[in-house]
Amino acid sequence: MAETEAVAEEQKAQEPSQPAGPPGVLRDRYFVRSNQPLPELSMPNAEAFVTEDKRDANRRLYALICRHDLPPRVNVMRALRGVSAMGLQQLVEWGPMTWPPAGRQCLTVIYERPAGAKVMANLKSEIRRVDEYDIGRKVIDPLVNAIKEMIGRGLTHRAIRPTNLYYMDSAGERLAFGDCVTSPAAVDQPLVFETIESGMCVSIGRGSGTYADDLYSLGVTLAFLILGRNPVANLDDDTILALKIRNGSYSTLVGDERLPLPQVELLRGLLCDDPLQRWDLDSLLMWQQGRRLSPLQPRVEKRAARGFPFLGKEYFNCRELSAAWSKNWEQAIPPVLEGKLELWLRRAIEDKERAQAVADVVRLALNATGDKKVAADIMLAKILMMMDPTAPIRYKGFNLMPDGFGSALAALLARRGDTRLLVEMVMREVPTLWFESSGDSRRPDSSHTEGNFRELRNFLTTMGLGFGMERCIYELNDAIPCQSPLLGEEYVVELKDLLPALNATGTKRPDAKQLPVDRHIAAFMAARARSDINRNLVAINDPDQGAALMALINLYAVFQYRLGPESLPGLAGWIGALCQPVIAAYHNRDKRKELEKEIPRLVRRGSIVEIYNLVEDVGAREQDKHGFSWAQAQYQAAEDEIKRIQNEDDDRGKEADRIGKQTAAVTGILIGMITVTITVILTVW
Amino acid sequence: MAKKPAPKAAVQQKKQGGGINKAVVLMIVAALVPFSLPTVIIVGPTMLPTLTAYFSEKGNNRYAWLCVGGLNFSGVVPTLFSLYFGVHTMDEALRLLSEGGVLMWAYATAGIGWGIYKAMPPMVANWLSFSTERRVAGLKAAQRKLIEDWGDDVAKKAPK
Repeated sequence: MAETEAVAEEQKAQEPSQPAGPPGVLRDRYFVRSNQPLPELSMPNAEAFVTEDKRDANRRLYALICRHDLPPRVNVMRALRGVSAMGLQQLVEWGPMTWPPAGRQCLTVIYERPAGAKVMANLKSEIRRVDEYDIGRKVIDPLVNAIKEMIGRGLTHRAIRPTNLYYMDSAGERLAFGDCVTSPAAVDQPLVFETIESGMCVSIGRGSGTYADDLYSLGVTLAFLILGRNPVANLDDDTILALKIRNGSYSTLVGDERLPLPQVELLRGLLCDDPLQRWDLDSLLMWQQGRRLSPLQPRVEKRAARGFPFLGKEYFNCRELSAAWSKNWEQAIPPVLEGKLELWLRRAIEDKERAQAVADVVRLALNATGDKKVAADIMLAKILMMMDPTAPIRYKGFNLMPDGFGSALAALLARRGDTRLLVEMVMREVPTLWFESSGDSRRPDSSHTEGNFRELRNFLTTMGLGFGMERCIYELNDAIPCQSPLLGEEYVVELKDLLPALNATGTKRPDAKQLPVDRHIAAFMAARARSDINRNLVAINDPDQGAALMALINLYAVFQYRLGPESLPGLAGWIGALCQPVIAAYHNRDKRKELEKEIPRLVRRGSIVEIYNLVEDVGAREQDKHGFSWAQAQYQAAEDEIKRIQNEDDDRGKEADRIGKQTAAVTGILIGMITVTITVILTVW
Repeated sequence: MAKKPAPKAAVQQKKQGGGINKAVVLMIVAALVPFSLPTVIIVGPTMLPTLTAYFSEKGNNRYAWLCVGGLNFSGVVPTLFSLYFGVHTMDEALRLLSEGGVLMWAYATAGIGWGIYKAMPPMVANWLSFSTERRVAGLKAAQRKLIEDWGDDVAKKAPK
């Protein structure tokens, strides 16, 4: 205990002191000291800082601040929060936090701070070899337990390497894996720790993989610990990958090193390049219990009688050749179209079946009626899949696993990279071809993933808010925060956080004409809403601004009703200011005046639900519609009457003449009769 | 349905019927003349304006003789009554006629009749025009109220 404290004091003394800045505060409890970085605990894509727990000042913690341009593994954070297991650093808390140095909200992960150091400071350094008799108890027991814990939760670690392995105690007895959540799966992994297939991928496209990938990384880590050094420290990634393909991972990493038989057995089992043959957890547990299995012999792909010349080098097996072609896409097409590959497969590899399949694909490309370039690209993608069915999706030099597509897309978009290649890949259905060629054997959930790609294609072919590239990003990345510039610095990962964030923007008086929605927000809502909101999205894209706004208010009202909060005056004010087209949809001026008077009151109450109920009163709308039709008819009748009167001017002259004459006649007769009567009376009287 | 033209025989019969009636009336009048010659002597010259009005007017609306005749007659009636209740003789009738006042009075009232007849159509036209304008103004006011209540769109024709 005293020793631990001494190490802690020493570490504290070593921590660089910087001018005190405002700390970041997570959940009103954890204070992250921005002026006390911990470079030794930082991850390649997340900086570490000293952290204090308000409730327990003696608790040793550190925080990792995630980068905003990489989607972190939030599902893993949720699953591992509070888990205390041998071999795992405890993930104490996580969540978005306002981070003063960045001036924005950043996702922060709080970990238990190790008392000891990293097992390997860097991959070039040498360490003391792990003792043959200690390896089981000190290393394998905790690490296997950690992997077991993760498998039990349906997770993969994908950051297993000696530079992410810590002594949790100062005595160096308790080993634990470091962080695996601050960046996409396997992004930080050096190629040597990845399987051949994963190593072929771009780092952001490796995907979550399976626990077999974790066991492979564990195998490489054990090899480093057993050897006390990086056996391929002086080799670059391309060379390491080529050696792994040619000689197998075990030979590449262990080579001729003389090791005790149990360790050979362990490393051969874990470093087996065939994922179906690679040791699983049961094999590892059996090995731990002392049951010895015969070491797996590496299965090397059939070597050609003569090499295939390509760009000045000769390749002797399909896997090597396809890897070279995937990196030199344009140069690879001519030899395939010329039939050189088919010939080589028939004569040098003597694989007539594959040669025939290649010939069929080439013929199909040559006879294609559409764009020849597109047909050639599709052809090469298919050929590469035939030559190495276990390889990742390879298209124009961009290689990725299907489950890494989402993180690759998100990272490219956040870094303002070119996403055209990924779009092209989906639109040309390359992932579907990959699933067809590889079968369902490798991934139990491949049909689901395959279905996802079909859905992505539909999203990409549909323009308008709520679809397109943005929709793909949010559908594929549960954890990615909404990237809308309208949300400013707010970190919105869940739908319930969206309205409060928009409310905050609304209080800052945004551009009066700007709708509180954009492509990112619409896509985010569509991907995160539990119900199908496609009908609303179609309405939001309506060219009639009033109808579009109504659909949006409807959506926000539903979200406010379901997810709260009750009062959103900023957002209500924003919407209220935009309500003119909705009010204008009513024809009756009195109704309009009534709405114009009522909306400010509801804005003050912050109720979008009530605003929606007010402007979308079906009865009132129907009444307005009927009333307007009646008014139109009245107006038209009056118009017709006026025209009729004006057209009757000539007739009226004649009529006036006739009536005038008749009146005069009657008047004359009446005067005559009256005169006679008066005369008679006067005379007789 | 358009009316069928009346047959020629029917027209002929109608014409004949009208001629017989006129002839009967003329015969009765002619038969009465010997018994009331003083009246004829007075009425003949004094009612000349009415006769003129009857023959001078053309067209469908021939009402002048009625208007002029009514007033003309009202100017003659006092003379006729003084004849009937005085001395009903030829001499008296001629004496009355020779007094300039009787003829002048008869013609003056006929003139007033002409005046009324000429003045009445413009007056009626003015009145009709006035009432039409009032009607149009009323309709336009109703339209303005509709626009005020429902906006300019109310003036657009409703799609059928």
